[in-house]
Amino acid sequence: MTGRVAVIRLAAIALLAIAWEVLARRFANPLFVAPPSATLVAAFALLDDPDVVRALLAALQELAIAFVIAVAAGVVIAVPLGLSTFWRGAFLPLVLGLYAIPQVTVLPLFVRIFGLGPPTKIAFGVTHGVFAVILTVIAGMRTIDPILLRAATSLGATRRQLIFNVVLPSLVPSLFTGMRLAMSGVLLGVLLAELYVSTTGIGFFTQAFTNAFAPAKLFALILLLATIAIALNELARVAERRFSRWRT
Amino acid sequence: MTLSRGLRQRLVQFACVAIVFGAWQIGSTTGALDPLILPPLSAIVVQLGAVLRAGTVWADLGVTLAELAIAFAFAVAIGLPAGFLVSRSRLAVRAFDPLIAGLYAVPTILLYPLYLLFFGIGPPSKIALGATMAVFPIVLSTIAGFTHVNAVRLAAARSMGASPVQLFGRVLVPEAFPVVIAGLRMGLVLGFLAILGGETLTSNVGLGHEIVTMAESLEPAKMFAYITVAIAAASALNALTSYVELRGRRHERA
Amino acid sequence: MDGISVRGVSQTFGTADDPRRVVALEDATLDIPAGELVCLIGPSGCGKSSLLDIIAGLAKPAAGSVTIDGEPVRGPLPKRVSFVFQENALFPWLSVDDNILTGLAFQGAPKAERRHRADEALSAVGLEAFRDHYPHQLSGGMKQRAQLARALSLQTEILLMDEPFAALDEQTRLVLGEDLSVLLARMRKTIVFVTHSLVEAVFLADRVAVFTARPGRIKTVLGIDEPHPRSPAFMTSAKLAGLRNTLYELLHDEVRRAMATEAAV
Repeated sequence: MTGRVAVIRLAAIALLAIAWEVLARRFANPLFVAPPSATLVAAFALLDDPDVVRALLAALQELAIAFVIAVAAGVVIAVPLGLSTFWRGAFLPLVLGLYAIPQVTVLPLFVRIFGLGPPTKIAFGVTHGVFAVILTVIAGMRTIDPILLRAATSLGATRRQLIFNVVLPSLVPSLFTGMRLAMSGVLLGVLLAELYVSTTGIGFFTQAFTNAFAPAKLFALILLLATIAIALNELARVAERRFSRWRT
Repeated sequence: MTLSRGLRQRLVQFACVAIVFGAWQIGSTTGALDPLILPPLSAIVVQLGAVLRAGTVWADLGVTLAELAIAFAFAVAIGLPAGFLVSRSRLAVRAFDPLIAGLYAVPTILLYPLYLLFFGIGPPSKIALGATMAVFPIVLSTIAGFTHVNAVRLAAARSMGASPVQLFGRVLVPEAFPVVIAGLRMGLVLGFLAILGGETLTSNVGLGHEIVTMAESLEPAKMFAYITVAIAAASALNALTSYVELRGRRHERA
Repeated sequence: MDGISVRGVSQTFGTADDPRRVVALEDATLDIPAGELVCLIGPSGCGKSSLLDIIAGLAKPAAGSVTIDGEPVRGPLPKRVSFVFQENALFPWLSVDDNILTGLAFQGAPKAERRHRADEALSAVGLEAFRDHYPHQLSGGMKQRAQLARALSLQTEILLMDEPFAALDEQTRLVLGEDLSVLLARMRKTIVFVTHSLVEAVFLADRVAVFTARPGRIKTVLGIDEPHPRSPAFMTSAKLAGLRNTLYELLHDEVRRAMATEAAV
């Protein structure tokens, strides 16, 4: 059964790739469209270009830092809130209110505050990722099986032991779900900020390739970024599954 | 007098907002905050009034909303039929649904430079971006809605002699509706955010573009006023779509 | 002959090379003359619901045939056969009244008659006051009555019921069973009724077809000689108790056998 599914998927992808190749070569304006063959060639060329590689690595670095900060900040904010129904009820609406703001509208403000360098991109990534962590960890804390807490208490566990031996381990699956969602958020935030700042980094190259009408290079750069995005998302997904195995 | 818990929580929220706004205003008056980056709240409020009265903000918002409307129309025209067709075959669902979901994970904004190349910096590139963003939740929810149709009700309708057209219109569509409309909602809201994003990155018109222009000019209070309008628009869109969804589902348990 | 004629019907699930292939029903043969109420009873998985689906034209048999009034069944016959399901068959986005009217629209009943038929059906089951209610506002028993109203409005000669009271608690079942008996006595319908409840089968039916464990065959057909409508007195009579005990003896081994095969799977 999975064999047939894989065949259909591969066939669909192959069909699209062939259509792209044919249409790009015969009908499309080479100023705007490049076929997959040219794109792949350009991709390898880009990877040989030290400036491009530097930009990609810079972005990856920003992603990593933003991710760590988002997760850490998210946990630090969420756990105290989750432990108290009063404070959760008080602050959660505020968090949700902030979450509802379309962050892209304040991107220019971020640049004014943090400048054109990595701090802006990291900050924007953090603000996109942190909410996911906060909301999933708070939700995770609400669903800790009270029976487990009662069982541990009846066995004589102290508050500290409860937190470290029952609450935190129970939270691990929710934490990894939050991290997966944070990964998507951080990716979006960092990429948005990178694309906005066209003086250096990825934004510089996307604008350069666009202005030079070099579609193969542009497609290639996007392909590389998309691959990075997919890889990171997969990593987060696998981690989530791995650490949620005991969950019913 | 002991206050109820709900009331105490409200007070905490109110206090937080008051502290933030208060600190902001104090920071502005003492000069601790750079007025070019973070202008005084009072100035923003004044500008908001001026901007709303002057009226150009409505034109800018209008452009953004028009881009959204067209983008959404495209997304629906492509997404609904595509989703429905895939839902008709279990094999197709198993093959394509995870593929589409996986593609969805890639930030759509990555395609924006491509659209800028094809369509230039005007509205069409925004429309393309918005449509691309919106089509994913629409396709995925349409597939989900039409594959999880209650088998007993379908059998009941067949036993009563429903024709294929009647089965589709009177059973499948109402069954799928709650899930599909949730997807449509998501598509509309995400499409709006994508279009705002596109306008912010590179554009010549639209609300997002105006915000960027003002950030670069020396009118920060006006920029904040525009940002407030954008936030209000997003909230209104969310509230409106939520209302439509709930109205359509009013037959359900509360 | 008038009525339902089942000849050598078999039903399987799964293709020939599938190791999990199941023969649900094997060589079922039964005549149900017009106007009779026959109950199908048997252990889980014995194919009684499959047989009902085949009679309704909702499923094709692997072997054998079903004829209704002499004509072979090849698909749903909305003008001859109506079906009441176990639960969840009402359209939740429509009121009770609209559910009935939609059923009539599916059947293709003449528009001029629909309102009248719906009103008649609603009063037959005693739900006139709830015609504008939505299914989620009704209790389980009322929902099944609404479904019954929808089926009755189609005014078919044959009514099939697949464990219509299974989702209800026993007390509601008993009361609805009495009401059903009164209702059906007024109409001259041919009814095939699937149930797990021994008492329900004896109380309602003219004849009870007892199925074996999978692969289901018709083991015996028990006759219930008691005038319609069945009264509450019959429910508490020794006659019913005796018949119920006979059914129990016929079924007991089959149920045990069915449970054993289920555990082995």
